[in-house]
Amino acid sequence: MARKILIIDDEEDIREVAALSLESVSGWEVVTASSGAQGLARAMEHKPDAILLDVMMPGMDGPTTFRELRKNPATARIPVLLLTAKVQSTDQRRFADLGVEAVLFKPFDPLTLSAQIAGILGWS
Amino acid sequence: MDSNPISKPEISAAIDKLWTKFLPEIRERVAVLEAAAAGFEANTLTITQQEEASSAAHKLAGTLGTFGLTRGTVLARELELMYAEDSGPDAAMGAKLTSITAELKGIVEERK
Repeated sequence: MARKILIIDDEEDIREVAALSLESVSGWEVVTASSGAQGLARAMEHKPDAILLDVMMPGMDGPTTFRELRKNPATARIPVLLLTAKVQSTDQRRFADLGVEAVLFKPFDPLTLSAQIAGILGWS
Repeated sequence: MDSNPISKPEISAAIDKLWTKFLPEIRERVAVLEAAAAGFEANTLTITQQEEASSAAHKLAGTLGTFGLTRGTVLARELELMYAEDSGPDAAMGAKLTSITAELKGIVEERK
């Protein structure tokens, strides 16, 4: 059965490359959202197997979106992987302390992104 | 993995198409950096311009490597850090800002 991934990122180019990568390399179903608020609604609607969540977004940022996902019993157990272009160690520690499954870094390799996610989540 | 419906060359070709699609947006971000570097050299850089430059550099840092331009990501990160300083780039950094931005532009324009 194909996995379903929700990508929440305000940058259209990143959404499209990540979607292409996950759909083409692994045949996963991809749902996208361009904001934290839209992501919360899509998570409720689609019940994805995992969420790839950008950190820096206007309005509701990634950490706030993550906390909202955790507050809602319908989405609280969905694994969340943060996606960030921040490379400073203080940022990395702060993100890891949120309780997400993992922190992935931009830029990512479109050819290996799905393998990276599958490895983290223990998907065979 | 569930399946492998598309070959590696096909994925690369699809990524190339996305590059073409998003190149105007990427060029706009580079233009923001060029304007900021020029503003800094002319001592007219505003706080808003500085923030826009930091944001544009951040986005380029995340995007360029995904399209295979790893050097572009390195340069964009360097610019992001320079513009992210509360006090703005160091006064001695004007020429460096301009040269890094020019190299970044060249990398973007050279990608096929």
